[in-house]
Amino acid sequence: MLPPIFGVLFDGFAYGMLLFLLSVGQSVTLGMMNFINLAHCSFAMLGGYVTVLLVNRYGWPFFAALPIAFLAAALASVAFERTLYRRLYRASDLDQVLLTIGITFISVAAAAYIFTTAQQPLQLPAYLRGSLSFMGLDFAVYRLILIGIALAITALLVACLEYTRFGAKIRAAVDNERMARGLGIDVDRAFALTFALGSGLAGLGGALAIEIVGLDPSFAFTYLVYVLIVVSVGGLGSIGGSFAAAAVLGISDIAGKYYVPQLGAFLIYLVMVGLLMWRPAGLFGKR
Amino acid sequence: MAEPLLSLRKVTAGYGEAVVLHDVSLEVPENGSLAVLGRNGVGKTTLLLTIMGFTHLRGGSLAWRGRDISRLPPHRRAAGGIGWVAQEREIFPSLSVEENLIVASRPGAWTLAMTYKLFPRLAERRRNMGHQLSGGEQQMLAIARALMTNPALMLLDEPFEGLAPVIVEELVAAIKTMLAGGSIAIVLVEQHTDIALELTSEAVVLERGAVAHRAASKDLQKDLPTLDRLVGLRVATST
Ligand SMILES: Nc1ncnc2c1ncn2[C@@H]1O[C@H](COP(=O)(O)OP(=O)(O)O)[C@@H](O)[C@H]1O
Ligand SMILES: [Mg+2]
Repeated sequence: MLPPIFGVLFDGFAYGMLLFLLSVGQSVTLGMMNFINLAHCSFAMLGGYVTVLLVNRYGWPFFAALPIAFLAAALASVAFERTLYRRLYRASDLDQVLLTIGITFISVAAAAYIFTTAQQPLQLPAYLRGSLSFMGLDFAVYRLILIGIALAITALLVACLEYTRFGAKIRAAVDNERMARGLGIDVDRAFALTFALGSGLAGLGGALAIEIVGLDPSFAFTYLVYVLIVVSVGGLGSIGGSFAAAAVLGISDIAGKYYVPQLGAFLIYLVMVGLLMWRPAGLFGKR
Repeated sequence: MAEPLLSLRKVTAGYGEAVVLHDVSLEVPENGSLAVLGRNGVGKTTLLLTIMGFTHLRGGSLAWRGRDISRLPPHRRAAGGIGWVAQEREIFPSLSVEENLIVASRPGAWTLAMTYKLFPRLAERRRNMGHQLSGGEQQMLAIARALMTNPALMLLDEPFEGLAPVIVEELVAAIKTMLAGGSIAIVLVEQHTDIALELTSEAVVLERGAVAHRAASKDLQKDLPTLDRLVGLRVATST
């Protein structure tokens, strides 16, 4: 028999993996490109609404909708990067914040206009709603799958960054942008691709989040806060850092709600403050 | 047919509002070699940065094999065949030696194997990270990395600066091997006037951002009064 703490750890870790998917792109754009994209969770929200539309209205299988959620967010981010973000790469932090927070407000209003402010129900097939019993505890199938997807993506990202030529080019451009250009690396293109990849993962996270936390237009702001916590605790630009921070914060959030309900959702902020006092640059941060 | 590989016509350039180079004109033919001499701060590095496209071009034009490249961004100039070895070497610290080479590589005669053959020490240290190298090894890596782009023109910014004489000898030998292949031109910025003139056929001397003197390298080697006046004499003291 497993004590209930394992159930709390499991739920917390699953929630952490969701936070990881939502935030890894933000960490990369902030850490590598020094661009403050507060509209990151609007791309996540887009992924969520695309999934709701495809599954509920057009009857797509949930798993077929996930890649489309990824693509929709990635493509939308490229469109914004090309037309708006690119102009502000060398602008002040304040300019970047104002532009992207404005985009977030617009996305929230647009979502409310098109989909109303109601929570979107997602009709999942029965097998995804079930759970597996193991040593007296029930593990939700959906959360198991969520963890599996997040682990696979982490492995893929790390492998891509550490062991491919494209990954080495990204690291070179982060180390020394001028030298990278001087050797013929198209730094703008590499960054645009990275940005699209990060936004696509947020879109995937938005799709996977519906079943766990629901979806309404406030998503773009609510989860922006969590994403920024994960990014600052994990350390800018560090995939491993985002992963560790998301896991720790997910577990402490769920554990807090379970064991000290009076503190409720507040515990996650205490954990953040504690971790940042211990390591101001974040768990894996360099600066 | 005698289209120069690179030509600068009345180039005026600098950083932001500051103008450093004034009306600089020069040509480098295919497989040519040009020494760029001059005291500290006269604009030698700025000249190379301008050829790469990293400075603010205010007047004049640059052409590559007859095509105007004045507005071409740096990465396209590099892809077009200009290899750059920066004065500060600028090795990527979080990449291994081998990754430093691989990120730069483009198809051509200079493969990883060929480059390691030229610099066997780099092969020994291939798994080391960029920031773990000695100054001499960093310089070898900077040259090797530029070679991996298979350039038609290599810009070398004081490659022997601050290195022990044995390392300098090793690098000179490597550069000679590289030139002996007969498919690469160089622009060599150097304070070691004697070595620079020995490695090149033509030379220009800069003073306050302008070309103050031009000569064949072997003539300038003997022209001690000019060297003394424009470069200051390292010539007499070094071998
Ligand atoms: N990034 C920069 N911004 C403004 N001025 C610069 C910059 N880099 C160099 N300079 C100035 O340009 C002049 C030429 O410098 P440089 O080209 O580095 O000379 P050299 O390589 O011949 O020693 C110097 O007066 C230097 O102060
Ligand atoms: Mg210099």
